[in-house]
Amino acid sequence: MRLLVIEDNAVLSELLAKGLRTAGYEVDLLATSAEARAVLMTTTYAAVILDLGLPDGDGLTLLRELRHRKDSTPVLVLTARGGLQDRVSGLRSGADDYMVKPFALEELVARLEAQLRRPGQQLGNSLHIANLEFDLRGRQALIDDQPQVLSARETDVLELLMRSKGRVVSKKQVEDHIFGLSGDVASNAVEVYVHRLRKQLSDRGAKVTIHTIRGVGYLIAEEKRDPV
Amino acid sequence: MIRFKSIISRIVILHVIVVAITSVLMSVALSWLLSVATNNIHNQAMEEQAMSLAEHLVLKADGSLSLALPPHLQGLYSQPYGRYTYAVIDESGKTLFSSLKDNAPIFANDPRAATVQFLETSVGDAVISGASVRRSVGGKVLWVQAAEDLANSDVLIDDIVDDFYRHVGWITLPILLVLLVIDIVIFRRALWPLRQASETAQKITPARTDIRLPFDEIPTEVRPLVSAINKALDRLDEGFRLQREFTADAAHELRTPLSILRTRVETLDDPGVAKALRQDIEAMSRVVSQLLDIAELEAFAIDPKEVADLQTAAAEVASFVAPLALEQGREIALLGATAPVFVKGNAEMIKRAIRNLAENAIRHAPKDTVVEFVVEEKGRVTVQDRGAGIADEERELIFRRFWRRDRNSQGGSGLGLSIVQRIAELHGATIVVENRVMGGAQFSLHFIPAAAPPKP
Repeated sequence: MRLLVIEDNAVLSELLAKGLRTAGYEVDLLATSAEARAVLMTTTYAAVILDLGLPDGDGLTLLRELRHRKDSTPVLVLTARGGLQDRVSGLRSGADDYMVKPFALEELVARLEAQLRRPGQQLGNSLHIANLEFDLRGRQALIDDQPQVLSARETDVLELLMRSKGRVVSKKQVEDHIFGLSGDVASNAVEVYVHRLRKQLSDRGAKVTIHTIRGVGYLIAEEKRDPV
Repeated sequence: MIRFKSIISRIVILHVIVVAITSVLMSVALSWLLSVATNNIHNQAMEEQAMSLAEHLVLKADGSLSLALPPHLQGLYSQPYGRYTYAVIDESGKTLFSSLKDNAPIFANDPRAATVQFLETSVGDAVISGASVRRSVGGKVLWVQAAEDLANSDVLIDDIVDDFYRHVGWITLPILLVLLVIDIVIFRRALWPLRQASETAQKITPARTDIRLPFDEIPTEVRPLVSAINKALDRLDEGFRLQREFTADAAHELRTPLSILRTRVETLDDPGVAKALRQDIEAMSRVVSQLLDIAELEAFAIDPKEVADLQTAAAEVASFVAPLALEQGREIALLGATAPVFVKGNAEMIKRAIRNLAENAIRHAPKDTVVEFVVEEKGRVTVQDRGAGIADEERELIFRRFWRRDRNSQGGSGLGLSIVQRIAELHGATIVVENRVMGGAQFSLHFIPAAAPPKP
C-alpha cells in the first residue's frame, strides 16, 4: 500500500518514511503543497499524511481542494498547532484524523490502520493484545493462537473493545454496538456481557484485563503483572 | 435634575421650549402688527371724514362761514348715534361748529399743529380718537376735527382683534406641534443608520473580530466616531492575529524537533534507554503544550453566548486520561450527574481545565487508589484524589506559574493549575481547594449554569 507524506521538515519526513516502511507501507515524500497538488492530480494513494505548516501555503487549503474535487483518499493531518480554532477547522476541511506533534510513530501507524480499515477500504486482518488475537474477517477470538468459542454478544463486545485498543469505550457505545436500534435495553445488560466476557477471557488464560471506568465505560489492556 | 440622554429627547425638549417661546412671541408680534394696522385704518378714516366735512364749509356773502351737512352726514354725527363727532375751530381757538351739545371742541387746538394731526382724548371711560385737518376757507385758517368714540358698540375693529386671539390665535400652537412631530420623525429616520450600526456592533465577539460597523448610511457628523471605532477594532484584531500567529509559529518550531527526537528514540536498540528518553520527551512535550496553552489563553476570550455541557466534558476528559491512569495503576471514576449539565463557556477550554486537574490528581494519587470526577447539576465539577492533600500555606502558591512543591520532582511543570485558574477567570468560575476528610485533595470548579442550547 502506497502512502504520500507531505512534510517540509526533511529529517522528520525521512524518519516518518523509515517508520512507515518498517510497518509495511511504500512511501512517497513531498515537501511543498505545490508538488503535492500536482502529484495528487495524477496519482491515487491509499492515504495521505499531511503536515499543515508547509512553506508555500497552508496544508488545509490543499486538503479543501482535494475534498472539493470529491477525492475521498483518507487524510491524516499532522500539525504543531493544537489550538482550538485549528482543531475545528482541520476537521471541517475534511481531515479524517488529526494528530498534534509530537506524536508516537506507533500511534500514527495505528490511526492510519484505523483509517485504512474504514468501510469501503481494504480490511485489516486481525487485532492483537498480548496473547489475545481477534480475527476481524472471521470474527473469531484466539488465545495463544487457539480459536475460542464465545457467544455472539460476547464476540461483539470483544471486537468493539479491541478495535478501540488503548481508548475508553463508553457504555453507550457498547449498547449501540450490541443492540443497535432494537429498542429497550436492560440497564445492566452491558455490565452482564462485559462481566461474562471478562470471566471467559481470564478462565481461558488471556493475559488481558477489561477495566471498568465507573461512569464512563470500558478499556481493554494488557494484563499488568505487579512484581510481588 | 432630569438629564436627557438620547438625542431625540434632547431635540424634543428643545423643540417644546422653542414652541412655547415662539407661540408667545408670535402672539405678541401679531397683536402689535394688528393694532398698528387697525390704528392706521382708523386714522385714515378719520382724516377722510374730516376732509369730507371740510368740503361742506361754505363762505357766505357776509364773510361768515356756514356748515351745510347733507342729511346722511347729519345722521352719522347725530347725538343719539354718538359714534362720530366733529368740530370746526378757527385761528383764535373759537369753536365755530360742533356736533357736541355745548358747542365744545373735541381736541384742544394747537395753532402750530401740522396740516394733519391724529389726536386722542378721553371722556369718562370712553376713548375718543380722531384727526384734525387744517383747511383754509376764504382766506381763513380753520381746523376740522373728526373723531370716533372707540367704546361705541358699532366699532368692529377692536372686536376683530379680540376675536383673532380668542379663535384664530390658537392655530399657531397646533401648527408648531405638528412641526415638532414632523421633526421627531425626521430625526428618527436620520438616526436609523446609527441604530443599525449598534445592532452590528452587538455581533462583535472575540470569535468574530472581523465585523466592522457599516459606514455608507451613517450621517457625516457621526462618521468620525464610527471610523475611529472601526480603526480601534482593526488594531484589536491585529493584536489577536499577532498573538495567534506567535502561538502557531512557536508551536511549529518547538513541536517539530520534538517529533523528530521522539521518532529517532523509537528506533533505538536499547529498550531501557528508549523508554527513559521517551518519558523525558513526554514531559518536555507536556511543558511545551502547557506553555502554548497559556499563550493562547492570553489572547482568548469566551463568547458570552457559548454554552458547554459539563457532564460530557468531564466524561471525555475521564476517557482521555483513563488509559494513562490505568497504566500507572490509578483508577478513574466519574460520579454525579448523568444527564447534560449546561454551563456558560467554551467546551474545549473547560475540558483543558478538567484535564489539568485530573493529571495533577493522578500524579499525586497513591497507587491503587481512585481519582474521582464528580459533576453536580448546579454547574460544579470536582476532581478528588487520595494523595497527601494541600497544606494551608500552599493554597495560594499552587496557582503560581512554575510553582512546584518539590523542585526536583519529575512530575508536572507547575503550569497546570495556573492554566486552570486562567480558564476559571475567563469563565467567571470559582475554584475551591479543599482537603478531604479521609485524606487527599479536592479541586472544585463552579461554573455559571446556563439554559440548554437550542437544538440545531
